[in-house]
Amino acid sequence: MSTEYLPGEVHDDELDPNEIRYVEGAVRNSAEQLAAYKNIDLATLPLLFLLFGGISVFLFALTVGDWDFWMDWRDRRWWPLVTPFSLILLPSVLGTFMWLKFRLPMGATFATMSFLAASWASRYANFHDFAGFPLNFVSPSTWVGLGVVLDATLLISRSFYFTGFVGAFLFGLLTYTINWPIFAPFRIPIEYNGTMVTVADLMGYMYIRTAIPEYVRIIEESTLRTFGEAVTPLTAVFAGFVTILNYYLWCWVGHKISVSRWMNRII
Amino acid sequence: MYKKIIGILLLSLTFFTFGEMAFAHGERAQQAGLRMRTLNWWDIEVTPKKVTVNEVITIKGKFSPSVWWPKHMANPSERLAYLNIGVPGPVFVRIDSRVNGVPMIRSTHFELGKTYDFEIKLKARTPGRYHMHPVLSVHDTGPIIGSGQWVEITGDQKNFENKVTTLTGEVIDLETQGMKEIATWHLFWVAVGLAWMFYWFRKLPVLMPRFKEVERLGPLHANDMISMKDMVVGVVFFGGILIAIAASYVWTQNQYPVTTPLQTGEVEVAPLPGQGDVVQIKMLDARYRLPGRSFKVDLEVTNNGDSPIRLGEFLTANIRFVNRDVMGDVQPIDEQDLIAKEGLVVDDNLIQPGEMRKITLRAEDALWETMRLTSLVYDPDSRFAAMLFFFDGEGKRYHIEVGGQMMPTFS
Repeated sequence: MSTEYLPGEVHDDELDPNEIRYVEGAVRNSAEQLAAYKNIDLATLPLLFLLFGGISVFLFALTVGDWDFWMDWRDRRWWPLVTPFSLILLPSVLGTFMWLKFRLPMGATFATMSFLAASWASRYANFHDFAGFPLNFVSPSTWVGLGVVLDATLLISRSFYFTGFVGAFLFGLLTYTINWPIFAPFRIPIEYNGTMVTVADLMGYMYIRTAIPEYVRIIEESTLRTFGEAVTPLTAVFAGFVTILNYYLWCWVGHKISVSRWMNRII
Repeated sequence: MYKKIIGILLLSLTFFTFGEMAFAHGERAQQAGLRMRTLNWWDIEVTPKKVTVNEVITIKGKFSPSVWWPKHMANPSERLAYLNIGVPGPVFVRIDSRVNGVPMIRSTHFELGKTYDFEIKLKARTPGRYHMHPVLSVHDTGPIIGSGQWVEITGDQKNFENKVTTLTGEVIDLETQGMKEIATWHLFWVAVGLAWMFYWFRKLPVLMPRFKEVERLGPLHANDMISMKDMVVGVVFFGGILIAIAASYVWTQNQYPVTTPLQTGEVEVAPLPGQGDVVQIKMLDARYRLPGRSFKVDLEVTNNGDSPIRLGEFLTANIRFVNRDVMGDVQPIDEQDLIAKEGLVVDDNLIQPGEMRKITLRAEDALWETMRLTSLVYDPDSRFAAMLFFFDGEGKRYHIEVGGQMMPTFS
C-alpha cells in the first residue's frame, strides 16, 4: 500500500486532538429560521401534491378503472358505490396524518385536489391526446367539494369518530349528487337506429374501443324490488355506510404511519 | 458515466428511428387451433379504401361460429357477443352496425354453425392509414378478429362533426357535448378547494411551526391551536358546500329535465337461412405434414344438387387457400391479404349430381409457417376446422364447414 500523501489530503496524524473546534449552525437567527421553514413549505407541498396525485391515480385505475374512465360507464348502481369506497383511502390517511402532526384539517382536500390534477393530466394526455377520445367522454369526476366537507367536519368536531360518521358518510352519500351537473348532459335520451340510448351510451357506441365490448358494462343485473325507481338514493346511502367503514380502517392506518419515532430523529 | 448515459440514449433512439411500425391486432398471437375453430370470416369487403374526414366507409362480410368451437372456451351461443371493429382508437366513429339487418348497438348471441351477414358503417375522423379488422368479442373468451384491410383517411380532423338530434329535439355535437358544464363545475370546485387551502396556508410558514406547536402542546391540548375563526370558517365551508351541492343539483334538474339511466340490454338476431343439403361432406382423415407445411384432408363428398360441383377454396384462420383451377387468378386486396393463390390442390375435383365421391385436398403454402399455424401440433386436443367453398357449373357457391381430429406427420 502506498504511503504517499496526495495534495490537500488531511490525515489523522496531522490533527491536533486538543484543538477546540466550533460548528456553526445552518440557521443563525430567527429570520433565517423563518426563511428555512418557508422553504420547507414551498418544497414539501408541491412534492406531496405530485406524489399523492400519482398514487391516487394509480390506485384509482387499479380499483375503479373503467368505471370512472368513460362517461358511459358511470352508472347509478356501481359507480356511486365503488368510487367513494376506493377514493376515501388517501383522504383518510393524509387527513389523519395532517391532523395529528400539524392540526391542519386539509388532508382530504389536498388528496382530492392532487387526485383531480393528476386525473386531468392523465385523461388529457393519455385518453384524449394520445388515444384520440373526445375530452368530454373521458373527463374525470369531481371530488374536491367532498374532500373539503371531510376536512371541515374534522375541524368542527375535532373527532375522527364524528368525522367518519358524518363527513365520510357525506363523502359516499353525495358522490353522485355533486357529479350530477357534469353527468346530466350525457343522460339525455336519443333514438338511434331504432334503439333508445343516452348521449353517453351513443358516444360509447360511436367512439370505438376495440378492447371494450358493450357487454362488459352491463349494469343493473338485479332489482331493488320494492323501491321503485329510487335506485340512486338507495345506492348513495349504502355508499355512505361503506365509506364510513373504509374511512375508519384507513384512519387507523393513518394513525400507525403518524408515529413520529423516525421523524423525531430527523428534526 | 455521461458517455454511457448518452450511449444508451442514442441506442434507444435507434429503436424509434429504424424500428418497423407495428400495426398488428394479434392476427398471429392466438393458438393456431383456436384461430381455426372459432369464427370463419369471409367475403370481407371495405369500400371505399380512401376517404376524407366526415366521409363514410362500409365494411361488410359474413361470419359463421364454428361447430368445432373449443369446449374450454365460452362460445357465442351460450355467452354474449358483440360485433366490434379493430382499429387504433376512435379514428372512425361507428354510425351503424348490423347483423342480418338487426342494429348491433347492443350485444347478442350467435348460433354455432349458422351464417350471419354483417355490415358496419364508419365515419372518418382522424387522418392516417389504418389496418382495420372486423372483430367479434365473446364474453369470457375475448376478441376474435377477421381478416384486415388497409384504409386511408385524408383531410383535417378539425373539420370533423358528429351531430345528433336528441329525443327532446335538440341538435348536439358529441365532440363537445357537456364540455361547458364539465369546465364550469370543475373550476368551481377547484376554486372552493383552493380557497380552503389558501385559508390554512395564507401565511407561510405553516408546517414546521404547527408541527413544533403540536409537539409542545401534546395530543391532549393540541386542539387549542384551533381558533374560533377557524371554527367559523369550517362551519361556513361545510354549510356552503352542502348548499352548493343542493343548488347545483336543482339547477341541473331545471337545465336537463329529461334524462334517463344508462341503457343496456340484449338484442336477438336470427341466422341466415341455410343452403339446404346440396353438398354433404364426411371427413375421413386429416393429416398435417410438418416439414412440407401441407395439410391433407380426405373427404367423402355427396352432391345432392342438379349441377356438378368442384371444391374452390379452403378457408381457415382467415387464410384463403385457393384452387386456381376453379377460382382463377385471385388477387390479394393489399399487401397483408392472406391468400395462398395456388394453395389448394384437389384430386378428382368434379362431383356429379347425385354422386358420392372420396376426394383428397391439400392446402399447402408458406402461410402455414408465417401465420404460426404450424403450432397446431402443440394444441392440447389436436383438432382443426375450416370452411370449404364448392362451386357448381353456374358459379353458385356452397359453403360447408369441415373439422375434426388432426394427425401430425413429422417426416
